Amino acid sequence: MFKNVLSRLATESVRVHRHVKHTEFLKSFSAARVSVRSFTEAEDEAQPPFDSSLLDFIVCPLSKKPLRYDSKTNELINEELGIAYPIVDGIPNMIPQDARLLKKDGDASDTPAE
Amino acid sequence: MAASVRLLARQLARLSRRNVFSTFSNASCGSGCCWRTPPGRCFSEAAEDRNTHFGFETVSEAEKAKRVYKVFENVAQKYDVMNDAMSLGIHRLWKDILLHAMHPQPGARLLDVAGGTGDIAFRFLDYVHYQQERQKLRAARSSQTPSWQDSSDTYTTDVGPREAKAVVCDINKEMLKVGKQKADSMGITSGLSWVVGDAEELPFDDDHFDIYTIAFGIRNVTRINQALQEALRVLKPGGRFMCLEFSKVTNPVLASLYDTYSFQVIPVLGEVIAGDWKSYQYLVESIRKFPDQEEFKAMIEDAGFCSVQYSNLSAGVVALHSGFKL
Repeated sequence: MFKNVLSRLATESVRVHRHVKHTEFLKSFSAARVSVRSFTEAEDEAQPPFDSSLLDFIVCPLSKKPLRYDSKTNELINEELGIAYPIVDGIPNMIPQDARLLKKDGDASDTPAE
Repeated sequence: MAASVRLLARQLARLSRRNVFSTFSNASCGSGCCWRTPPGRCFSEAAEDRNTHFGFETVSEAEKAKRVYKVFENVAQKYDVMNDAMSLGIHRLWKDILLHAMHPQPGARLLDVAGGTGDIAFRFLDYVHYQQERQKLRAARSSQTPSWQDSSDTYTTDVGPREAKAVVCDINKEMLKVGKQKADSMGITSGLSWVVGDAEELPFDDDHFDIYTIAFGIRNVTRINQALQEALRVLKPGGRFMCLEFSKVTNPVLASLYDTYSFQVIPVLGEVIAGDWKSYQYLVESIRKFPDQEEFKAMIEDAGFCSVQYSNLSAGVVALHSGFKL
């Protein structure tokens, strides 16, 4: 009698296990499909949007002059001094040491502003 | 340079008005302006030459900034938990008292410097929204049968003429990250901005904010006088500077108890909860190196604030300093 129960238990668990594996595989496959889809959409807005109302009162900490927002590079540019402050995760980084120098021909070097 | 010239001009203007306003302002305001020369920026000495304190150690100014950054980078994730553990939750009361003293009105603009995890900013937004609700309720109760004009106004404008805005500024990205995560989990969508910035060189326009707060942050600033000058610059005329900071306990019995607690218990808590003894050792040492209530009040007056006063919380463990830009 116990052997019967045990054998039935074994087959049931194997069946359940196989079923679980199958569904998991399906789920991961569909998830991969979904993530691929969202990846192409998320490319455009990889970071949370920058709140442009900040531009009303945010200035360069060195010159205290207003800044220009460059949406391509996601930076705040001070044309006068030729430096760009990065925006990370929607938070502008206004520390002069973390700013990037802009060369005259439009290329950027990696050396900090100070 | 421009800042010190402006400061001088302001002090001269204040001196000329002193006779008129002597009955209103504290004597401290007048004496403060006359005696001290405006603390201008010293461009002659480099930051590496001048020494300052990092806890009980003596370090160069440049090094202090770096080491303070590292301290807060390490503690950022466990910052709020440690605050609750070290102060037994009393830090929440201190911050609530700050908000009640501030009594912000709808439409106020707050700059919370060294705001890190956003405690003050969140409280500010809650307080202002509560005030707005109360005002709406009062308006609704008082007007029995609203005129056509009144009811059409409620359709068009949901909030008052201007929405209250809080800007949290901190030099440490990790602390801001934690704060932003908290805001997202609380579902705060508007009225709150996050900026990485240096308290000594604020990236904000002149005469912009109604209230400037710095809670438990100013003792970590390398050049406190510079931070105070920047605070004066970004505040609107009539704006208020408010600072919560650990200070000197006057009662000698309580002082010795507090010292024992600070040096024996807090670093241990730091090690157990946050896994960082040294950062919390720095914290308790930096409290001892910070000027006491009267000295800090004098520093605030030197920067150009008027009607500077302080009140002790928890018998002097914390002091709330307040000054106005006039």
